[in-house]
Amino acid sequence: MDFYGFPRPDGQVGARNFIALIPTTGCVNTVALQIEKLVDNTRAFCHTKGCLYPPGDTKRVTNTLINLANNPNVAGALLIGLGCEMVNFDEVMEGCKKSGKPIRGVQLHKLGGHLETVFEGAKLAAELVLEASKIRREKFGLDKLCFCTKCGSSDTTSGLSANLAVGEVCRLMTAAGGTFVQGEICDIMGGEYALKDLCVHKEDGDKIVGYVKDLYNRGLAVGADVRGDQVTTGNRDGGLTTLTEKAMGANAKGQECPIVGTIDYGNHVKCLGGRNIISTPGHGFENLTGGAAAGAQLILFTTGRGAPNGHPCIPAIKLCGNTKTVKNLSEHIDFAVDSIINEEETVAQAGERLFEFAIDVANGTLTKAEILKFTGMDILTYGPTL
Amino acid sequence: MPIKYAKKISEKDNVATCVADISKGEIVTVKFDGAETQYTALSDIPFGHKIALQDIDKDGEVIKYGVSIGKASEAIPKGQWVHCHNCIDTYEVK
Repeated sequence: MDFYGFPRPDGQVGARNFIALIPTTGCVNTVALQIEKLVDNTRAFCHTKGCLYPPGDTKRVTNTLINLANNPNVAGALLIGLGCEMVNFDEVMEGCKKSGKPIRGVQLHKLGGHLETVFEGAKLAAELVLEASKIRREKFGLDKLCFCTKCGSSDTTSGLSANLAVGEVCRLMTAAGGTFVQGEICDIMGGEYALKDLCVHKEDGDKIVGYVKDLYNRGLAVGADVRGDQVTTGNRDGGLTTLTEKAMGANAKGQECPIVGTIDYGNHVKCLGGRNIISTPGHGFENLTGGAAAGAQLILFTTGRGAPNGHPCIPAIKLCGNTKTVKNLSEHIDFAVDSIINEEETVAQAGERLFEFAIDVANGTLTKAEILKFTGMDILTYGPTL
Repeated sequence: MPIKYAKKISEKDNVATCVADISKGEIVTVKFDGAETQYTALSDIPFGHKIALQDIDKDGEVIKYGVSIGKASEAIPKGQWVHCHNCIDTYEVK
């Protein structure tokens, strides 16, 4: 199986072809948003970070910004700095340039204010957009394609239909040489030992257990046992009995496919093939950013009650196994798998359909979140905010 | 009367998840690997809740998605509703 994508200088292949407007601090989001309005085919990667976090977070944000620019959907990037942020503008610039893609930068303090920065930035962005428009889609194998996963606004149907269909895509995708990235450490919690058993390399198994332990300890540090918070009253009313049961419903997004690697949040996977686990949180804004920074071209986003949000960097396919939601929120749901619950289709059949649809989206078919510009993102920090 | 189904996910599972509200005494159908099996519900089981597909001993493992999701806190007969009242979470962060 093949797909058609935009070739990049570093050998990666994009499913989209736009210019990213990347603020190195949330303080200059307004500049990015104004340039986005002025220049076609640009996307503002607005976030709230960049300053006043402990050094580990500054490093994580720096890595993430660099690897967002490295995402193959990005044809080129304009970095927008303030001039006093903790994230080092030059370090981000150098990191981004390693991709070989055209990267430009503007800084508000140096240019003497917002209006001048918008003016200079828009001119640079317009040049980048023109160059990007000359790149054509070409045919590539699935070894150049990476999908990541997320479940949001889940209900009972997620673990019985949508997540299972995604698991089937994971099987088909990895068998075809593609890369699959599964995250959400809070959802893995309770199922980490099952994932450890699927690891090809022992050190990855230890790392996955470590990701969960780290989350647990961070919860304890603020007086919370996050195990208890994970199975909510709503979950219990809905029929979930234990944390492991909930986790296995989430882990079903990878079936029993072997796990070949682990990725720390903000790092890049570069289509190595196989199923990988990434240390993303469950919270959507930071989660999708982690998948995008890892290098995924699109995200398979399962939802039961209907999560509408996408991400500026990667198309999010909303798939849903709840018949009511599929009908009520049709403007947000891209793909229905309620056929599994209704016994009209097997998981394998729905998974195969989804696999073909995901390839179509990689080829350029738009998702509902893209069409509606329903977007948003943030970057994970551990804090505290200083 | 439409058929009332419960979803079994993995071969080893000893519970299935009902995708309709079930009343005590009703027949629940489980489709797996092309075969259909019928169970009689021993109690009311709400949508999204689990039904035992075989007798589970006290302290026996409750299996879903092919793995142990908890332990039976009492003997659970086939057809019984399985939830917090008879299945306990044994998960610990190690």
